[in-house]
Amino acid sequence: MNAFLLVGSPKGRKSASYLLGSMLAEGMRKRGAAVSEGMVHEGLRSEDGTARLLDSVDGADLVLFAFPLYIDSLPAPFTRLLELISERRARVAPAGSPRLAVVVQCGFPEAHQCETAVGICRLFADRTCMRWAGALAMGMGGSVGGDPGIMPGGGKNILDAIGMASESLANGGAIPEAATALFAKPLMRRWLYTMIGNLGWRMELRKNKARRPLTYRPYSQE
Amino acid sequence: MKALILDGSREGDSLTPVAVLGMTSALAGRGHSVELVRPRELAIAPCTGCFGCWTRTPGECVIMDDARDVVGSYVGSDLVVFVTPVTFGGYSSQLKKLLDRIILSVLDPRFTVVGGEVHHRLRYRRYPKTVGFGTLPSPDPDAERLFARLVARNGINVHQHSGVEILAGVTDPVSARRSAVRLLDRAGVPA
Repeated sequence: MNAFLLVGSPKGRKSASYLLGSMLAEGMRKRGAAVSEGMVHEGLRSEDGTARLLDSVDGADLVLFAFPLYIDSLPAPFTRLLELISERRARVAPAGSPRLAVVVQCGFPEAHQCETAVGICRLFADRTCMRWAGALAMGMGGSVGGDPGIMPGGGKNILDAIGMASESLANGGAIPEAATALFAKPLMRRWLYTMIGNLGWRMELRKNKARRPLTYRPYSQE
Repeated sequence: MKALILDGSREGDSLTPVAVLGMTSALAGRGHSVELVRPRELAIAPCTGCFGCWTRTPGECVIMDDARDVVGSYVGSDLVVFVTPVTFGGYSSQLKKLLDRIILSVLDPRFTVVGGEVHHRLRYRRYPKTVGFGTLPSPDPDAERLFARLVARNGINVHQHSGVEILAGVTDPVSARRSAVRLLDRAGVPA
């Protein structure tokens, strides 16, 4: 089986989306799938890069999207890629109907805030003759660093969910509902996450030696 | 009253310009001044996710391009209308590249609870009312529902309720104007 992982974070391989997507890809490789990777932002910067992304989607049995939630949906370049894939599949009758699975994370504590983005991906699959293979959506994406081992609780729920999902996807199935539910479980208490987050913004401001307060209103007309 | 129309039409899109005409006419008919922004004609880089607009130059994006001026227009408006081809239930990539650059910079990064969910705090004392005016070639209940949900969720980001109207297969400005009037009435935009 030939899978193609599309990473939709502007931070590319340094992103939480890449970490989660590549863990899923790795789990599938261990089960015999061939998985290649493409970075959406980087690819769309050139015609050649865009063509490579589109060709890779065409040649895949399974397409995996991994992206951060941006304003309740996909980042703009990923939306552009969906438009391009759709145009190509409308113009040239697609040879097959690949499956589409999604991994999405948001910086809010609640995983359900990713629902509209998942809905957009699902509708995209439906309208482009792809077969929906489910989604893993999580909140508290701000606590996903470069190493799953340092996630709260060792990232056990995340790792278990990805293990279940990669096994099913590699065997031609969809992401099991149990994996979706496990992946969506909060990594810590909501109050703790927001407290750490609020402190983090202030520390970052100080680290960057910002000259204005966090609450500055540059466009205020009052 | 100042209204800002963000026109998310894409190259070759014949329906969204009709919606823009209808909305412009409806707003002008109520005596409101209208600023029209067409992202596909502007130089707007994608958001890089650097959070510079929160932790380096609070309230301002660190990328120096046309999006910065639009943030000023957004903050200074009383009403913002997202006019867009409904794209798999979402916005066009043209509108989305602008929204990705506007929304973070008008929010305060710190968290607060809105309607039982965690969202960001507001940076400004007042925000424009936001409505979505989507176009589709023909009726599509799934896409329409999702679009309405998305606009509503975007409203929550700025702690508001947002309204939506869909133009399905509408090619004449008179019908588009009628729908725009309906949307403005529902949103409580004064005549």
